[in-house]
Amino acid sequence: MELCELQRQGSAGGNSYHGAQQSIRLQSMSSASNQNGPLFNWASSPTEGSEDESRPLKVLRGQPLPMRLKRALREVQQMRVPLVTDWQSWKRSKAKSVSRFRTDANVALYSTALWRKTLLKIGGQFGGGVQSYFLFLRFLVVLNFLSFFLIAGFVLIPSIVFKTTSPSNITADSNGTNLIGSDWSTEDCTAYDPNPQGLVIFYQYFLDLLSGTGFMEYSYVFYGYYNNTVAESSGFHYNLPLAYLLTCVFYFAFCLVCIIARMGSALRVAVATGSGAVGSYSKIVFTGWDYGCHGDQATKLKQKNIHYQLQLDLEEQRLQNKAASLTLGQTVGLYSLRVFLMVISITLIGVAFFCIFRSTAFSQEKVGETGLLGLIWEYLPSIVITAGNFVVPLLCDQIALFEKYSPSTTIIIALFRSVFLRMVSLGVLLFSLWSKITCFEDKQVCLLCQYNHEDYPCWETRVGQEMYKLTLFDFLINVAMLILVEFPRRLLVDHWSCALTRWVGRQEFLVPYNVLGLVYGQAVVWTGALFCPLLPLINTLKFFILFYCKKVTLFSNCRPAVKTFRSTTSTIFFLVVLLFGWGLALVALIYSLAQMHPSMSCGPFRSLTTMWRIVPDTFYTLSQTTQDFLFYMGSQAFSIPLFIFSCVVLCYVTALASVYGRSVDLLKAELKMAGRDKQFLVKQIEKLSRTMGVLTRDQEDMYDTGAPN
Amino acid sequence: MGTTASQLGKDLLSEYQELTFLTKQEILLAHKRFSELLAKEERSLPSPRVPMEKILSLPELKSNPFKKRICHVFSTSDPKDGSLTFEDFLDLLSAFSDSATLEIKSHYAFRIFDFDDDGTLDGRDLEKLVNCLTGETEDTRLTSEEMRQLIGNILEESDIDKDGTVNLSEFQHVISRSPDFVSSFKIVL
Repeated sequence: MELCELQRQGSAGGNSYHGAQQSIRLQSMSSASNQNGPLFNWASSPTEGSEDESRPLKVLRGQPLPMRLKRALREVQQMRVPLVTDWQSWKRSKAKSVSRFRTDANVALYSTALWRKTLLKIGGQFGGGVQSYFLFLRFLVVLNFLSFFLIAGFVLIPSIVFKTTSPSNITADSNGTNLIGSDWSTEDCTAYDPNPQGLVIFYQYFLDLLSGTGFMEYSYVFYGYYNNTVAESSGFHYNLPLAYLLTCVFYFAFCLVCIIARMGSALRVAVATGSGAVGSYSKIVFTGWDYGCHGDQATKLKQKNIHYQLQLDLEEQRLQNKAASLTLGQTVGLYSLRVFLMVISITLIGVAFFCIFRSTAFSQEKVGETGLLGLIWEYLPSIVITAGNFVVPLLCDQIALFEKYSPSTTIIIALFRSVFLRMVSLGVLLFSLWSKITCFEDKQVCLLCQYNHEDYPCWETRVGQEMYKLTLFDFLINVAMLILVEFPRRLLVDHWSCALTRWVGRQEFLVPYNVLGLVYGQAVVWTGALFCPLLPLINTLKFFILFYCKKVTLFSNCRPAVKTFRSTTSTIFFLVVLLFGWGLALVALIYSLAQMHPSMSCGPFRSLTTMWRIVPDTFYTLSQTTQDFLFYMGSQAFSIPLFIFSCVVLCYVTALASVYGRSVDLLKAELKMAGRDKQFLVKQIEKLSRTMGVLTRDQEDMYDTGAPN
Repeated sequence: MGTTASQLGKDLLSEYQELTFLTKQEILLAHKRFSELLAKEERSLPSPRVPMEKILSLPELKSNPFKKRICHVFSTSDPKDGSLTFEDFLDLLSAFSDSATLEIKSHYAFRIFDFDDDGTLDGRDLEKLVNCLTGETEDTRLTSEEMRQLIGNILEESDIDKDGTVNLSEFQHVISRSPDFVSSFKIVL
C-alpha cells in the first residue's frame, strides 16, 4: 500500500535517471529487484557483509533522493530487524559511536583552523590561485612554529637551565684529544670579545637590533652564546653539543616530512587524475564554476575569468594547429630566435650573480664601520639581491614576449627562471661568505686556526647574522613596498585619471612572485637555523605579520586577476620549489657540519675539528653491545637484504599501478562497446517500430471504415 | 512530517543528521534561515513551501547563474514551479555541503546542467551551460565560431560511446579526474 505508492512516486520522479542510477548503486546489491521500482534495492538487508555499521548510513545519505524517500527507506531498514548476536550489536554500536566521535572531531578541528574564515573569503573573491598562496603561507607559519618548539625544547631551554643553575653540572670540554696539536698556540684562536666597549650611543641599540650585532650578538639568538656543557647529575646526562647538532638535523628531517606529507595528498590526486592537459575543456566547463561565489561582482568576475580561460585555450589550440603547419624555414628561424633569447636571459642572470658576489666581498671588507653608512654597507648584499630579484625577472618578461611560446609555457618558464635566480643568488652569497671564512684565496691567514680567525673570531655567529639580516630586510622591504608603492598606486589610480594611470591600472596580486618570496625567506631560515637557533621563531612572527599585510593589500589595492592559476597543480609546484630551497640549505648544512672547522672561541663545538665529530666521539662512549648493534645495522649484512626488500616492495607497487591502468583502459573499451550496442539496438527498435507502425496503421484503416462505437 | 513552530525537535534533528551530510549546527542554521523566508502565518504550518523567488533572494544563491536550475532540481512540488519545502532545502544544502560524496555531487551537477531534463547533455544543453558560465550579455558570450569549436572539443573529450551526448557515466568520468570539483561545488550558509 504505502510501499507501492512510494515506488510509484520514486519512479515518477526518477524515470529519466533510472538507467543512470546503475552507476551509483553499490556493487554488492543485486540488480534483480530493479523493476520500475525506486532507485534503491529494497531486497538488501543491512547486515550483508561484515563491514561496520556505518555503511547503511552512508548508503542512505549518499542516495540522490528527496528526503521523503530516504525517510521511507530508513523505516524499511529499521523494520527489518536482523538477527544479530549480542556481540555483533555491541560491536555495531561501538562502531557507530566511534564514527560519530570522528565526525565531531573533524568538525571541531576544521572550525578551529587558523584563519579559516579569512581564507574562505579570499577564495570566494579572488579565486583558488590567490587562496593557494595564503594556504601556503599558513602552512609555513605552522611549520616554523612547530620547529621552534623543537629547538626550544632541546637546545634553548636546557641551555638556559644550565647557564642559570649552580655548578653542580660539569662544564667540560668534550674529549680534548681533538686539539690540533700542542705546538700551535691556540691563544689567538680563542680570542673573542663580543660585548660592546665603553659608552654606547642610544641609537646604537636600534642599529644593533637591525644588524644583529652589539647586545644581540652575545645572546641566545646566535650560535656564539651556547656553551659546550655536558651536564651530569645523579643519573641525568645531557650532552648539549650533541643535542644541538641532532636537533638541527632532526629539524631538517621534520621539515622534509611535513612537506612531503603535504605534497603527498595533492600528488595522489594529480596522479590519479592523470595529466591535466587531456580533457581540459570538459573540465573547465563541467567543474569550472565556483558555487561559493557571492555577490554580483564576484560572479561577473568569475564569468569573465572563465570566458578568458576558454578563449585562451581555444586560441592556444588554433595556434598549435598553425604551428604544426609551419614551414621548415620558419621553424628553424623560430628555434634559433628562442636559443638566442635564452642565452641573453642566462647572461642577465650571470651578471646578477657576479654583482652579488662582488657586493658580498665588498661588504665583508667594510665590516666594522659605524653609523648609517656602516649599516648600508652591512645590508649591501641584501640590497643587491633584492634589486636583482626585481630587475632581472622584469627584463626576462620582456624577452619572453619575443619568444612566442604558448601562454602557459611562458608562465612556467618565467617561474623557473625566477626560482633559479633566487635560489642560486642565495647560494652565491653563501659561497662568497664561505670562501672568505675558509680563505679560498689567501691561504696565509687561515693557517693558524683552520679558518680566518682575524676577521671572524666567531664565524658561525657572523653567518647567523647575515641570515638574520636577510630575513629582516626581506620583511622590511615587503612592508615598505606596501606602504610606499601599493597604497599610493591605488590612491593615484582611483582619484586621478589620466592616460598613464589608466594604462597602469590597479595592481594585480601576482601569486607566483609572492610565493617565490616566501620560498626564498624559508630557504634563508633553513640555512641559518644552525647558526641562529631563534631564527624559526623570528620567521614565524615575520610570516604571521606578513599574512595580515598581504591580506590588507589584497582587499584594498588589488583587482582580481583575469588570468587564473590552477590551484591543485600550483600547490604541488610551490612545494617542489620549497624542496629546492630545502635542498640548497641541506647542502650548506652538510658542508658546514662536515668540512668547516668550528670556531675555537665560541659555541658548543669549540674544541672539535668539525662539528660532526661530536657524534663519533659520543658513539664510542656507548656500551659495547650498543656499538656492535649499530655497526651491524650499518654493515652490508643488514643493508643489502633491506635494499632487496625495498626493491621487492617497489616492484609490487609498480605492478599494482600498471594493473589498475590496464583495467581502466579495459573498462573504457567496454563502455565504448556498450554504447555501440545501444546504438545498434536503438536502430533495430526504430526499424521494427516503423514496420509495426505501418501494420497497425493498416489495421486502423480497416477498423475505421466501421461505425464509431 | 514538517517543522513545528520555530524549534526543531530532537528526534527530527537526529533524523536529519542521519539522512543528510549536514552537521547539527548546519541544520539549525538552515532552519533559522528558512524560517526567515516564510511569512509569519506560514511558520506554524506543518510543511510550508517557499516559492522560488523567495529562495532566489538568499545571498548565497542570488547571483549564481544556475540558481533557477538548482531550485528546479531539488523541488519536489508537483507543478514543478521550483518551490522548496524545508526538507528540499536540506537536501539542497546536503548535496552542496562539505562532506557530501563525489557521487552525489556529480549526480546533482549533472541534473543541474541538463537543461531539458532528458537525462543526457546534448549540444543544446552544453551551449546553454557555456552561456551561463560566461555570462549572458553580448560582450561576454563566445562567438558562434568559438562555441562550435568548444562544443566539438568537449564532445570529443567526454563522449566515450560517441553518441553525440554526454550521459551520466561519462560526466562522472570527467568529474572524477578533476580534483577541484568537490571543493568548488559547495554552498555554505
